[in-house]
Amino acid sequence: MYKTFHRKKIVVIFLVCTAMFLGLAARLVYLMIGQSEYYTEKAEDLHERERSIKAARGRILDRNGVVLADNRTVCTVSVIHSQLTEPEKVVEMLCSELNLEEEYVQKRVDKYSAIERIKSNVDKETGDKIRAYDLDGVKVDEDYKRYYPYDSLASKVLGFTGSDNQGIVGLEVIYDKYLEGTEGTILTLTDAKGVELAEGGEGRVEPISGNDLNISMDVNIQTYATQLAEQVMETKQADGVSILVMRVKDGELLAMVNVPEFNLNDPYTLTDTWLYREVETETQEYGETVKSIVKVPATQEELTEKEYQDRLNGMWRNGTINDTYEPGSTFKIVTAAAGLEEGVVTTKDSFSCPGYVIVEDRKIRCHKVGGHGAENFVQATMNSCNPVFVTVGLRIGADRFYDYFEQFGLLGKTGVDLPGEAATIMHKREAIGMVELATVSFGQSFQITPLQLMVTAASIVNDGTRVTPHFGVKVTDEEGNTVEVFQYEQKENIVSEETSATMRYMLEQVVENGGGKNAYIEGYRIGGKTATSQTLPRGSGKYIASFLGFAPADDPEVIAICIINNPQGTYYGGQIAAPVVRQLFENILSYLEKINYN
Amino acid sequence: MAGTKRRERQGQSEYFFDYSLLFIVLFLLGFGLIMIYSVSSYEANLEYGDAAYYLKKQLFSTVLGLITMTVVAMIPYHFWERFATLGYVVSAILILLVMTPLGRESHGARRWLYVGISVQPAEIAKLGMILFLASFICKMGRSIRTLKGFLAVLAIPVPICLMVWKITDNMSSAIIIFGIAALMLFVSSPDYKKFVAIAVAGVAGVAALVFYIVQTADMESSSFRFARVLAWLDPEAYASGKGFQTLQALYAIGSGGVFGKGLGESMQKLGFLPEAQNDMIFSIICEELGLFGAFAIIVMFILLIWRFMVIANNAKDLFGALLVVGVMGHISIQVILNIAVVTNTIPNTGISLPFISYGGSSVMFLLIEIGLVLSVARGIRLKDL
Repeated sequence: MYKTFHRKKIVVIFLVCTAMFLGLAARLVYLMIGQSEYYTEKAEDLHERERSIKAARGRILDRNGVVLADNRTVCTVSVIHSQLTEPEKVVEMLCSELNLEEEYVQKRVDKYSAIERIKSNVDKETGDKIRAYDLDGVKVDEDYKRYYPYDSLASKVLGFTGSDNQGIVGLEVIYDKYLEGTEGTILTLTDAKGVELAEGGEGRVEPISGNDLNISMDVNIQTYATQLAEQVMETKQADGVSILVMRVKDGELLAMVNVPEFNLNDPYTLTDTWLYREVETETQEYGETVKSIVKVPATQEELTEKEYQDRLNGMWRNGTINDTYEPGSTFKIVTAAAGLEEGVVTTKDSFSCPGYVIVEDRKIRCHKVGGHGAENFVQATMNSCNPVFVTVGLRIGADRFYDYFEQFGLLGKTGVDLPGEAATIMHKREAIGMVELATVSFGQSFQITPLQLMVTAASIVNDGTRVTPHFGVKVTDEEGNTVEVFQYEQKENIVSEETSATMRYMLEQVVENGGGKNAYIEGYRIGGKTATSQTLPRGSGKYIASFLGFAPADDPEVIAICIINNPQGTYYGGQIAAPVVRQLFENILSYLEKINYN
Repeated sequence: MAGTKRRERQGQSEYFFDYSLLFIVLFLLGFGLIMIYSVSSYEANLEYGDAAYYLKKQLFSTVLGLITMTVVAMIPYHFWERFATLGYVVSAILILLVMTPLGRESHGARRWLYVGISVQPAEIAKLGMILFLASFICKMGRSIRTLKGFLAVLAIPVPICLMVWKITDNMSSAIIIFGIAALMLFVSSPDYKKFVAIAVAGVAGVAALVFYIVQTADMESSSFRFARVLAWLDPEAYASGKGFQTLQALYAIGSGGVFGKGLGESMQKLGFLPEAQNDMIFSIICEELGLFGAFAIIVMFILLIWRFMVIANNAKDLFGALLVVGVMGHISIQVILNIAVVTNTIPNTGISLPFISYGGSSVMFLLIEIGLVLSVARGIRLKDL
């Protein structure tokens, strides 16, 4: 029965199996020696988790080293489900410490996930308290949050940061790369669910803090200018008030106020100004049904998502650089300078103003209905006489005027170190006819930003040197060592020194004896120009009152502009904007002198 | 030594007991338990709060299996011959019972019967097939040399294989059962040509099928098993799907290197490699113990089948020899397929590593089979060795 061939075959089976085992052993050698490096690397990639450590963002300091933007340590509280040993106690503790609904916490504690965030932006004291409970599975991570000690001061200039510590508006955006620093990393071994293994060695790369940005703003001037702006906005029931203060010689901006400002520590909450809904209503007027849109107060929740976003953008908008307007009479500074430079007018030229001037078929009126009568060019400037400036403009001619427009730098942007600067809206060279030229001469039919106007005026009174307005001065590291000093372009000879001197004289006359006398300060030499312009569309009854002033008039150090948007009651720039600049100068001129002595 | 043995032989011990085989099996079981604890403790602790959860369950089955093995080893193996037909019928019925409420589903497949403990009918079927075929072939005598006899032996496992495949959706067990039958037939038939022809045809057929799948199929339209073939050829291309487990196993094996990360130091067992304590345990052995650990296991299995060969070749009769051949076929097929799957040498299919993988019914029935082999070994007269 049991034969030799059976035994032979059994040996064959054994040999074949052994051969297969050896084949598999060879395969293992290939995998574990030949491919070992490749698979080891792949496996490590899989096992290692990279967790980033936020870098502290650099601070923003004013010209005296006062901190305008800082960091605060905040905590993020999370639970790790797999490490929880006393879930009930954890829920109870988190509810009481963080003031949260029990249901909300319970749901997160019960959730089977690697790590579940309970609350972020918890202040440090609460975080420390939670840590002190020492409950398993509760994790308190420290983190930095941007903090602005002055809340709303210079909100539209400084800007704020988003959740990833990146700048969203203002200087925080422009200087992001200096401020942001370099994130650090923690390399940890984790299991498949992402739970960190305690015994796994940690690789750690320390974060590098961002550098500090030193800006030219003076927090005292900014604060005082803000107070003045708020005051006049309140008394004149205006929509908004802007004040710019700049050093004439180097373009350093000392203050940039745009009230209403918003709270930088709470940038996503709309301020009262923006909390309204537009409702269409029908009213009966003279027996006719008139449709009109009325603003009705509303809460933030009542707004649609789009409305909310639009309002936020509106609230964050920096009117002095993001919006353009018709400058009106303050622009006569440019017309006068161009006329003098071109030689088509001198201070002694005499004119006669009948109250209007006819250009082609249009009758352009002077603001003084009866006319100013006989006056020389200086007097015409003091009177802000439209017919005279139209005449000067026409003498220059459209082509040459456009050349000056370009030469003064009005066609480009100022180059300020803030995001979203608006460009000038001006006629095309070919499209300027007599009427357009006439209106441009006294500051209408084109639009520029307030900053552009101020910088151009500054260059005209500054011996023809046009500076680049800016806030950024230098970047310093944590110890205060200078890392980088910013250089800004200057353009010289945009007008001659003589023209500049004449302009300074004429503009000082405006303040001493003319329409700007409300800006006069005993003991100081102030130059300036007023403006009152109607906003577009004309006939809306809305005005912009403004005043541009500089001091000292013979050798300007500082220039300021105040723009009041839609004031109620008296709306003349000379009456409501000039006093603001006077109050500002009264306070800051002596202060600036003191600083300069130091 | 020789003197003592001679004196003992004068008593009852004129028969052989294969201590080497016993030692190899005990070594593999002990090693398996250590590896099961190493591989499963982290997840067991997370899931059941008891790091030794899987170890305890496996230890219980192992002890139970060793007791059963001892009992079976004591009983002369011819005792079982009378149950051969019954065993075949019972295993068929048990497979059918999986469809009744007694059946149990786990890991998405209905393969278990629950009667106080979980049992896989496929494991019983393997044992039943070995017993039935050994008895059947002995009864056939010389008629196995005819084509009719040959085909009859080949036909016997087919119904059981089909049931295991289709009812319990367990293709790998079906392949193993058929493989056992084929090996037993190979041993009992003096012919070589037929087997070589079948082997060549089989290899050619498989190659053609793989070629066909690669040419026609893309992952979306492919059926479950086609997709496995594609994932086998390029696991990284299907890393998030069918190739996932294979790729994770390769990470484990490859990152082990020559000496391994050390016992208990595997990273892949921390939830990355699914079923790490079951079918994929060999990859964790590679990761923790390196190439040397893997070689040691392979050598132990070669020694095991060497012992089987020795016992089969010295068996008292053909029935005993065929029983041992069946067990030898069962264990060697399963070990080879398991290591081949884990190293991505063949497409992925669920096969556990005998004595080492976690699984109660598997270890129980393997130990019963070892008991049978020991019983056959006991029938060998020492003077015949």
